[in-house]
Amino acid sequence: MRLTGEKITKIGLAVCLALGILCVIYGIKGQQASSDSELGSENSYQAIYALSGNAEKTWNTLESDRGSLSDDQRTQTDGSVRTLVRDFWENRKAGAGEEIDAFLEENRDSEAKLAWKLLFAADMTGGPKVSAALRKKLAGMPSEEQQLFRRQLLCCIADESAALPDGTEEALEGLTGTDRDAMLMQLAYTSACAGNDQVTEHVNQLKKSVRDREKQLTAFRMIATGEVTWLWQLIISNSRTVILLGVALILDVLLLALLMAADRNWQLNFKWVLILLIVDFLLVFEVLPVVYMLIKGVFPEGSFSLETVRRLFSYPMNLEALKNTLIAGFATMILGTMIAFPLAWLVGRTNLYGRKFFRALFVMTYMVPPYVGAMAWLRLMNPNVGFINQWLRILFGLSDAPGPLNVYTLPGMIWVLTTFYYPYAFITISRAMEKMDPSLEEASRISGAGPVRTILRVTLPMMTPSLIAGALLVFVSAASCYGIPSIIGTPGNVNTVTTRIVEYVSMGQQSINDATGLAVFLMLVALLILFISDGVLAKKQYVTVSGKSVNPTIVDLRRWRTPLTVLVSLFAVIMVVIPFGVILTTSFKVDVGKSMFDAANFTLANWTGVFSRGETISCLKNSLIFASVAATVGLVIACVMSYLLQRTRIRGRGIPNFLITLGSGTPSVVIALGLIMTMRGNFGVNIYNTAYILIIAYLIKYLMMGMRTVVSAMSQIHVSLEECSQISGASWLRTMVRITGPLIFPSIAAGWFLIFIPSFYELSMTTLLYSSTTKTIGFQLYEYWTFTSQPMSCAMAFGILLIVIGLNFLLNRLTKGEFSI
Amino acid sequence: MSTVTIRHITKSFGNHVVLQDFNETFGDGEFITLLGPSGCGKTTMLRMIAGFEHPTSGELYIDDQLVSGGKTFLPPEKRGIGMVFQSYAVWPHMNVYENVAYPLQIRKEPKDKIREAVERVLEIVHLSQYAERLPSQLSGGQQQRVALARALVAAPKLLLLDEPLSNLDAKLRETMRFEIKEIQRRIGITVVYVTHDQTEAMAMSDRIFLINRGVVQQSGTPREIYNQPCNQFVADFLGKVDFFKGEVRDGKIVFPGMGGQSLPYSGERTGRVDVAIRPENLSIAAEGPLTGTLETCYYLGDVNDCRIRVGETLVRVTAPGWTAEEMKTGETVHLQARNLMVFPDDGLLEEMLTIQT
Repeated sequence: MRLTGEKITKIGLAVCLALGILCVIYGIKGQQASSDSELGSENSYQAIYALSGNAEKTWNTLESDRGSLSDDQRTQTDGSVRTLVRDFWENRKAGAGEEIDAFLEENRDSEAKLAWKLLFAADMTGGPKVSAALRKKLAGMPSEEQQLFRRQLLCCIADESAALPDGTEEALEGLTGTDRDAMLMQLAYTSACAGNDQVTEHVNQLKKSVRDREKQLTAFRMIATGEVTWLWQLIISNSRTVILLGVALILDVLLLALLMAADRNWQLNFKWVLILLIVDFLLVFEVLPVVYMLIKGVFPEGSFSLETVRRLFSYPMNLEALKNTLIAGFATMILGTMIAFPLAWLVGRTNLYGRKFFRALFVMTYMVPPYVGAMAWLRLMNPNVGFINQWLRILFGLSDAPGPLNVYTLPGMIWVLTTFYYPYAFITISRAMEKMDPSLEEASRISGAGPVRTILRVTLPMMTPSLIAGALLVFVSAASCYGIPSIIGTPGNVNTVTTRIVEYVSMGQQSINDATGLAVFLMLVALLILFISDGVLAKKQYVTVSGKSVNPTIVDLRRWRTPLTVLVSLFAVIMVVIPFGVILTTSFKVDVGKSMFDAANFTLANWTGVFSRGETISCLKNSLIFASVAATVGLVIACVMSYLLQRTRIRGRGIPNFLITLGSGTPSVVIALGLIMTMRGNFGVNIYNTAYILIIAYLIKYLMMGMRTVVSAMSQIHVSLEECSQISGASWLRTMVRITGPLIFPSIAAGWFLIFIPSFYELSMTTLLYSSTTKTIGFQLYEYWTFTSQPMSCAMAFGILLIVIGLNFLLNRLTKGEFSI
Repeated sequence: MSTVTIRHITKSFGNHVVLQDFNETFGDGEFITLLGPSGCGKTTMLRMIAGFEHPTSGELYIDDQLVSGGKTFLPPEKRGIGMVFQSYAVWPHMNVYENVAYPLQIRKEPKDKIREAVERVLEIVHLSQYAERLPSQLSGGQQQRVALARALVAAPKLLLLDEPLSNLDAKLRETMRFEIKEIQRRIGITVVYVTHDQTEAMAMSDRIFLINRGVVQQSGTPREIYNQPCNQFVADFLGKVDFFKGEVRDGKIVFPGMGGQSLPYSGERTGRVDVAIRPENLSIAAEGPLTGTLETCYYLGDVNDCRIRVGETLVRVTAPGWTAEEMKTGETVHLQARNLMVFPDDGLLEEMLTIQT
């Protein structure tokens, strides 16, 4: 009996494998076929025809763009449209230009109007659906105008008519052919304004749909003429996707077969399907981009070359960036750990006044967007108008010259990085410290060592692995940070790897290679550290966790209690109160350099601006939506993973776990760059410039935070709680709903927020992946800070801060105080 | 009341055989104990009856209904069993009443019926006044009783208990042992009880199954198992016992380790044997077959725990407490023996020793 089951599975696997291989073979064939020049000649016609399906929508967007322009800008845009329409005709047909010139000459007064009218006409011809309406419209026109209209259309069609297949001439007599021109005109318009982000976006979208629809249309045509079967057509029109599917299928089958063979169990287990689904997702959106980038690093133009590596080390600006990154990371690590260890000890293990408050305060910094801190310290240590500088100058009677402190330097950047990344070490260290079995220290005390010697001889050595793990975390976070270097470093010409990467990407295709080189470098550093801290250090954790709840012994500070409390308070004021205070006060100022209490300098305009600007609201909406989707999807995956990891012994459950850990350890900029390079359709998935690419990027980066929370909650629930429900007669689902669900709910909520909050204000990945319709609040804030108004961006920053704190409060209430960040 | 029929059940995890060819029927209303050292497979057997583990081979019937075996597998929730877990598994997010009412709620019983049943069962376990408490406000013993009440509330025909008393302190354990037995007697339920504590097993069971390394060594009433162990392991596991190497010769067992002294023997074993003697079966008398010197004697109140050197061998003897006055170390004493347990010298003893060390 079992043998047949085994046979069926094996046959099934073989069939899937064969299917996968077929997909790959035919995908490749399909690709060759679609790039075949013979097909190509007709493609453009078909594609543009198809494209007109989108025309109406595109037009609406264009129209609203135009509406939002100022009069000057509109005139300018109309002008460039006109020029472009002309250029366009000239390029398409010698002589067309003169024809148009003559045409425009006739209508000199209303050139711009005509250009727009032309576009409007183009819109009206948008697609077969509209063509009937257009015909009606034409019929209703006075003959003079109708003639004009037809003339315009003919001008448009111009050159290519010669190459059009038989029968197209007739089609041109009707209106069908004009659809193409309508779209070409829109293209012309949009590229006209290529300087403008929003319009570039339309161009990209149009180009993209041309590419996609092109193949599909070829397919439809060929099906209609009976040249080939629909299946083959489907393959041609989606050749890359087919290849991707095939490769994924082959990998899945191989992995499954490997797992089954290792398990000697040839029954298909549903859990394996879950694992494969998660692995597939991560393979496509995490492994493919990263591996592609690695390969690109050494095969920049398709053949092996170390040119990228050479450029990396020979171009002084890159070399400088590498050096800065390593120095900044290293210095931040040392400084951060030096702050974090004593702080963790004082807050966790002594009778310091207000320990719980301080702990909450320092941990909370972890949840504040780094760029907000950068903005604050910029206000404080700006060489000219920085608060601290002004104070120091008064205090020491210095002249009015800039200084004495300058934040726009490498040390300045290191300081700001430290203020934002020491909590990483603080959390790691204090967690280990609280878990440590107090009897180990008690044994030292009973052996005659004093408290100080106990710390040095017992506590510190036992903490070493956690200390190093925390330090490495600080290093890698600081080295891959983008927000702080971009706000502080870039103006002061202190470049880091991340700012260079973003700059390269914005420079266009040519410099992507350089970006890749830097990204590979950053990734290797991060992976090395991930390997050290997860693989080597994790095995060396001495920290003993006993089964019962551990109440660490509290060291009595005695006469040092008050002075140390004052010291910690002072530190809290410098690290938390002053920066956030500065953000708040700046948001009420007209001139950032003057006092808020100067009546003329006080304004609420920044705040009303934040709440009234449509763009800000739509960015906020985007952020909320993307972060919610990422958190929800992430949590579903987290729950499935927790179930697999904690409740099953299914083979292969470690694979998705490993990939998720890897994803969270990869620097944001690297993830984003990898996605840019692989998700533009070149691998069969085209989500470039969409919301999906942002959501996926957030997921890959932050999924682990959510997963870890749920997994640890699940590990704390003894299986017997579930088994007991089952024996009471409840089904698996019912047990999940009534027992497991309620018990891990606080962690599920916490996991959701842990993905939501960083996704909500994310900047590094968003900078690389946003499009005009998918801007987020974090990016909006950054744009405002850099290009528009610093006080207004401070208002936004404080708004974000309030949202984060509000969410934290909500989380605390929701989980009855069990969780807060 | 129901029967559990186990037909040649074997369970292995990978290559490791946890339970081998378990073949037995538990009768109606019986109190069955699966006893054995940790890792012997007893909990695995219990979890197979509950439906948390699938047998590798063999069949399992509850009341003549096949529940595991071949292609049939009835999930735990369909088996209608009550179970108490070692960790109690009292759900921390529900109060006592809700915990106990849960199995009935699953069965969609009417509200008033649930209330009635829960109150009755809480009465039985003496928790009526704690109904509104959360588990975190209860002591270990109380939590254990909540678990018991929950297992009993739906009036299951079969109750499984997985080392339910191991997390309690000694005093409480004794009380609970008595209570569980009392409840079982009152409602006449079939109980399968897993423990590694032999006193528990002896006190409560109708039948004990002594399991070691996946194999049932012996089954029977506590008295049978204690007095007529079938091998050295069983003899050693239950109660105190000393082993002596001997040889059957002319109706006597001669002990080379005791300088050739011997005990009379009328059984059928011949040749080299392992003799197991329980300390309470040896008594100090005016005269007897064995002669030795009293080396140490500890007064424990109810008994005296004595060590007597016979030849090169130390023999342990439990003497009644009131004889303490008469015990003088260094004196020569004589020993009489009852209930010798004689096994062939087949190397099992040595094997047991190597495993222990």
